[in-house]
Amino acid sequence: MPTDVVMPQMGESIAEGTIVRWIKKVGEKVDRDEPLFEISTDKVDAEIPSPAAGVVSEIRVQEGETVPVNSVVAVIGSASAGGPTTATADKPASAGGSTTAPADKPASAGGSTTAPAGEASPKAVEPPKPSPQADGSPASPASTPVATAGPAPVQASQTPPVRVEEKPAPPAAAAPESAAATARQAGMSTEEALHQRSSPLVRKIAKEHNIDISQIHGTGIAGRVTKDDILAFIEGSASAAPRTLAASTGPASVAGAASARQAEPVAASKPAAGDRVEKMSPMRKRIAEHMVASRRTSAHVHSVFEVNFSRVAQIREAKKAEFERSGAKLTFLSFIVKAAVEALRAVPIVNASVDGDTVVYHKDVNVGIAVALDWGLIVPVIKNADERNLVGLSRSIADLANRARQKQLKPEDVQGGTFTITNPGVFGALFGMPIINQPQVAILGVGNIEKRPVVVDDAIAIRPMAYLSIGYDHRVIDGAVADEFMSHVKKTIENWDPNAL
Amino acid sequence: MANEYDVIIIGAGTGGYVAAIRAAQLGLKTAVVEKQKALGGTCLLWGCIPTKALLEHAHALKIVQHAKDWGVTLPAGAVGIDMGQVQTRKDRIVGGLTKGVEFLFKKNKIDWIKGTARLTGSGGVDVFEGEKQTLRARKEIIVATGSTPRGVPGVEIDRRRIITSDEAIHLRDVPKTLVIMGSGAVGVEFASIFARFGSDVTIIELLPRLVPVEDEAVSAELEKSFRKQGITSHTGARVTAARVSGDVVEIEAQLADGTAKKLRADYLLVATGRAPVIEGLNADGVGLQIEKGYVRVDAQYKTNIPGISAIGDVITLGTAGHPQMAHVSSAEGILAAERIAGQDLRPLNYDHVPGCTYCDPEIGSVGLTEQEAKARGFDVRIGTFPFGVLGRAKMSGETDGFVKIVADKKYDELLGVHMIGARSTELVAEATVALRLESTVEDLIRTIHAHPTMAEAIGEAAHAAHGAAIHL
Repeated sequence: MPTDVVMPQMGESIAEGTIVRWIKKVGEKVDRDEPLFEISTDKVDAEIPSPAAGVVSEIRVQEGETVPVNSVVAVIGSASAGGPTTATADKPASAGGSTTAPADKPASAGGSTTAPAGEASPKAVEPPKPSPQADGSPASPASTPVATAGPAPVQASQTPPVRVEEKPAPPAAAAPESAAATARQAGMSTEEALHQRSSPLVRKIAKEHNIDISQIHGTGIAGRVTKDDILAFIEGSASAAPRTLAASTGPASVAGAASARQAEPVAASKPAAGDRVEKMSPMRKRIAEHMVASRRTSAHVHSVFEVNFSRVAQIREAKKAEFERSGAKLTFLSFIVKAAVEALRAVPIVNASVDGDTVVYHKDVNVGIAVALDWGLIVPVIKNADERNLVGLSRSIADLANRARQKQLKPEDVQGGTFTITNPGVFGALFGMPIINQPQVAILGVGNIEKRPVVVDDAIAIRPMAYLSIGYDHRVIDGAVADEFMSHVKKTIENWDPNAL
Repeated sequence: MANEYDVIIIGAGTGGYVAAIRAAQLGLKTAVVEKQKALGGTCLLWGCIPTKALLEHAHALKIVQHAKDWGVTLPAGAVGIDMGQVQTRKDRIVGGLTKGVEFLFKKNKIDWIKGTARLTGSGGVDVFEGEKQTLRARKEIIVATGSTPRGVPGVEIDRRRIITSDEAIHLRDVPKTLVIMGSGAVGVEFASIFARFGSDVTIIELLPRLVPVEDEAVSAELEKSFRKQGITSHTGARVTAARVSGDVVEIEAQLADGTAKKLRADYLLVATGRAPVIEGLNADGVGLQIEKGYVRVDAQYKTNIPGISAIGDVITLGTAGHPQMAHVSSAEGILAAERIAGQDLRPLNYDHVPGCTYCDPEIGSVGLTEQEAKARGFDVRIGTFPFGVLGRAKMSGETDGFVKIVADKKYDELLGVHMIGARSTELVAEATVALRLESTVEDLIRTIHAHPTMAEAIGEAAHAAHGAAIHL
């Protein structure tokens, strides 16, 4: 019996869709749930699986045409009726995840992301949950007739086309899917690679370094990824300190050889007469690239906690002199680092990285401290921060900050970070919404510590307070987990054990 | 006001006139100030076009000289060249092309202001010729005044016997003996022309090899080929004195081994480089930043004075060796015009500028030489293929030369392509596109090269870089 294939509704507000590509042609055999065609809507692009097994007997909407949702775009005939074309299905043009999982709802190409947070499928990588705060996250749309939760807005201009795969309805039969990640990780097909404009050389370099070109911001004509773009990208991730851009500072001039070859950056557009046009410093350029890349890579979500520093302030006053005698400066930051390290131990996912569809839980706790410089920003790393006490941390922080300002950091000083702390409070900010330092999954922002009126035992009291914020990658850290981490930090600071110095 | 424009361009050479056309295409009201009697500048009037015209004459003569090989029968008598006819044909070509530029100006409604321009500050230009005109540029002035042959201290150019390319191009007789100082493009091209016409040519080059900007292998091949053609090359040598006495130039040179050599020639052609033209521009008056005579610009071709840009042979980007080439000037002119019209400017990659030298055999090259690639720290691999093996080369009797590919081992990146041999100046276009698109050597291997062509040598050289050429 022939089955009609309709243009699926990819979201509540979406009324029409464009056929981008027919993966199967008329006469070709198709399995149920095998990718049949690709569509593009104003929210997302998606690969649509076949609602039934059989042979494509008719294609009614050609590539490039736009039709309203629920229009019939093709007809699947039964396999036997398919005619002589035994259509060798051995041309799996783009059988992305080749999900074999059964689905019961044909046109319900819903993103796996519509699953309620609690109901995560048993996979290493948990699909991102749409969140109102998560801008630019590669959210997939909902489209089951019932659950039509609006996806987060997708920045189509920056985000590569999202491949949405059918989530198998019976949760028991959870098959490998997690569309985008797997498809990309498994090495892009030529077609996909070409979709992101790049050069042969870039594709060659990408292959050798196992890089997903679509993650790279292209500066060439029409966004083409050039050699300089990918080399900068590699440099950035190699130093594991995208935020820091360390590699390009004076001492850590490991980048020297390559950056010497780099072409001039794309100039600011349309400067008016009298404007000063200046080339970005290599550090600036790297910061720019890494920040944008991070935004594109992680599903950023932030939450803010208010923390009472009374206890820490008392201890600090009491111990300051003692510390100074031993040559260390006891700052609030030292306490915060210590508290964060303990929380990282307690909630290891915050001390992790995402590698394709795997999560790497780091054995070491290496905490990067963002240091603002007159000429940019750098994030030196306290290695094995969990093995240091408050004195050791204080010394490390002071040493790294000093050497950062004197341009005396070594490349290894800025590598290997597993978590980052940034301190916008020193400039008076109440709190920050920091961008994650890739490939890490979370970053702690420390707001200004100042005396504020707070309610203590139903009376208004004056207490040194600060807002601590966390930026976390919702791909792997859910809100509850992030809050657990922050609660841990808060608890440690507010109930500091004076003997635990 | 009639004398107010969006853009005023000073100089109608390849940089200036192309910038003007591009600006006009983008809707800007454009004027070009040019003091010469014709448009086109050095390229059309004294450079690219007339020299290449002479080289084509030389090539024609070469075919006729080998008439016997070709089976072409000629009436008895010596084969010679009629310089009068050569000059007439060349002038006709040049005239046609300059008229072509005039036509393009009319088509694009560009005003040609005849005279010498003098900057008066941001947006202001005075033009002198007859009555002084004052022009205003609403958006920008582009200085595109170009360059002129440069002499060397101790050798006084009298433009009669001690000459530059400007005079050599107009010679109406074939010198019996010609000494050429300098073996850059200009030097070796005139060497090829006049050696073919019958002159006894000697080149004196200060540096240790001919065409010093090219890959060493190319220099070596050219020296070999010149020797076969009877052109004498003294490299590592310097001219210590040159005097005109009557119709003869007496030249003293110190050779590489330190010995002194005396030469007598009908002409001494000084081809030691080209100097920027800023005379009369009032650069000092308006405070234009000048470096070693060149106008200093940034990657957007802006000078230090807001509203004044500069392009072409007259500029320096503050780095060594801004190439003085027509195609570079026009590329810069287009970018400058587009920027002024409000478009984003993507800076040129000066590593991807093709160089063409029309000596016999021709040289075409783009990208890094082997030495440069090594100096930049690449793990270099080389692939070379001689033209002589190719069917097409044998047919045309042009079997000298080779294609040499310089690549990076790590990523198989194509870094440079250097060729010497017939049609190399055309073949370099393929290599230039390949570099521009960031090709790997593998891409060149997988590119189908038509047969029988000289271009096969590029594919074969790529094969060679990966191990072995097919036909070698």
